[in-house]
Amino acid sequence: MKAGTIIMMIIFLGGVWGIFIYLLGLAVKKEREKSIIYKEE
Amino acid sequence: MEKKETFSSRWGLILASLGMAIGCGNIWRFPRIAASNGGAAFLIPWIIFLVLWSIPLLIIEYSLGRGTRMGVIGSFGKIMGPKYSFMGGFIAFCSMAIMFYYSVVTGWCIKYFLRGVMGTPLLKARDYWGSFTSSYQPILFHLLAVLLGSFIIYRGIEAGIEKASKFLIPSLFLLLVIAAVRAITLPGAVKGLNFLFNPEWHYLRDYRVWLQGLTQSAWSTGAGWGLILTYAVYMKKREDTVLNSFIVGFGNDSASLLAGLAIIPTIFALLPPAEAESVIKGSDNIGLTFISIPTLFSKMPAGSFFMSLFFLSLTFAALSSLISMLELTCRIFMDAGLTRKKAVFFVGVMTFLLGLPSAFSLAFFENQDWVWGLGLMVSGFFFAIAITRYGVSRFREEWVNAEGCDLKVGRWFDILVKYFIPVEFVLMLSWWFYQAVRWDPKGWWDITKPTSLGTCLFQWLLVIFLFIIANRWVVKKTFRGEATK
Repeated sequence: MKAGTIIMMIIFLGGVWGIFIYLLGLAVKKEREKSIIYKEE
Repeated sequence: MEKKETFSSRWGLILASLGMAIGCGNIWRFPRIAASNGGAAFLIPWIIFLVLWSIPLLIIEYSLGRGTRMGVIGSFGKIMGPKYSFMGGFIAFCSMAIMFYYSVVTGWCIKYFLRGVMGTPLLKARDYWGSFTSSYQPILFHLLAVLLGSFIIYRGIEAGIEKASKFLIPSLFLLLVIAAVRAITLPGAVKGLNFLFNPEWHYLRDYRVWLQGLTQSAWSTGAGWGLILTYAVYMKKREDTVLNSFIVGFGNDSASLLAGLAIIPTIFALLPPAEAESVIKGSDNIGLTFISIPTLFSKMPAGSFFMSLFFLSLTFAALSSLISMLELTCRIFMDAGLTRKKAVFFVGVMTFLLGLPSAFSLAFFENQDWVWGLGLMVSGFFFAIAITRYGVSRFREEWVNAEGCDLKVGRWFDILVKYFIPVEFVLMLSWWFYQAVRWDPKGWWDITKPTSLGTCLFQWLLVIFLFIIANRWVVKKTFRGEATK
C-alpha cells in the first residue's frame, strides 16, 4: 500500500468517523445534563 | 382530535434522520464519484461543502419544523407569509416526485437481495437485468416497497418510523462494516484502496471536482429536501437542532466512506486494474449496482452470500429514506386535516400509481431522476431565500439558538445562508445546465428527451406555475387543517 494511501485513510476515515463518534458522545453528555436540569425543575 | 405525536427520545430522532440521509446515493454514487475524481483529493471539497451547504440547511430544516410544527407547505406559509407557500409546494413536489421512482428502486434492491439469497451465482447479470426490467416483476416489487413503507408510517412516529429506524440503521452500519472488512481482506484489494485514497492533488485545480463534491454533498445528505423539516415536526420542543445537524451530516459521510471501502477494493480485487478503472469510471449508478457488482460477486467465493448482504444493505438504506419521503407527503395531507390513517392510504395508492411509469420504463425513470434530482438544488435555495427574507440573524436568535439548544451558532451561519448558499446554488446549477447543453448541443431544448435541459426547465416551471395558481386554495386547506387541530 502506498504511503499516501495510508496517511489519507488515517486522516479521512479517522477524521470523519472520529468527529461523528465525538459528536455522538457530546450529545450523550448534553442529554445527561438536560435530564438533571429538567428533573430539578 | 389526534394526539400530538413525538419521537420518544433524541436517539429515535437521530436514527430516523440518519435513515433519511443515508440512501442509495451513499452506496452506489459516492464510491464511484470519489474514485473517479482524484480519490482523497475529492474528499476535501466533499467535506468542505458538507459544512458550507448541507449542515446550514439541516439546521434551518430542524429549526423550522420544530418551530412551526407543520410540514413544508405550512412552514413556508408561516415563515414567509401565505402567498409564498408555493415555494414549499415546489419542495414537497420535488421530494414526492423522487419518492415515486425511489420506491421502484427499493423494489429492485429487494428483488436482487432475494436473488442473492437463492444461492446460485448470477453469471449473466446483464441479461438478468434486461429480462427483469422488461417483465411485470418491477411492478410487483414496487408494490411491495410501497406496502412496506406505508405500513411503517401507518404505525406512527414512535411505533413505526422510530422503531424501524432503530432496527434499520444499526443493521445497515453493521452490514457495511462486514462488507468493508470482507472487501479489504480480498487479495488485490490494496490496489482499490490506492485508487480510492491515494491523493492526486492536481485534481483540486479542476473546478469540476469541486462541483462534484458540492453536488454529492447536496444530494447525499438530503439537506434542503424538506424531509428533516418533516421529522423535526415530531421533535420535543426543548430539543437541540445544531448538534443534531452535525451528527446527521458526519454520520452520513461516515456511511459513505464505509460504502467506498466495501465497493472499490472488491472491484479491484476481482478485475485487472485497467478494467476495474473503466468499470468505475464508465458505469452509471444502475449499471454499476445491478450489472457490474452482481457479475463480480459471481466470481468470488461465497459470492451469493455477499451479493445478498450488499443488496440487503441497499434495501435498508433505500427503505429508511423512502419512509421519510412518505412521511413528508402524509404530513402535508395531515396538515390539511386528514387523519394519519386516511393520509397513509391516499399517499400509498398515489405512490404506487405514479411510480408505475418508472417501473415500466427506464427512460421515464431516468427523466424523473434527472429533473427532480436537479430540482433539489432549487429546494435548498428556496430555504435560503425564506430565511433571508425573514432575517437570518433574527432566525438564528429566535429559532436556532432557542431553549434546549446544545450548541449555539454564531454569525458564520448568517454569512453561509445569506451569501454562500445562493452562490453555491448558482454555480452548481449553471454547471449542470452547461453540461446538459454540451451533452446534446443540438437537442438540449427538446422537452421530449429524457435528460435534456428543456425537459428539466419545462417540468420545474410547470410545477411552480401550478402551485402559484393553486396557492390560495392550498393555503386555505393547509391552515384550515391547523385551525381544526
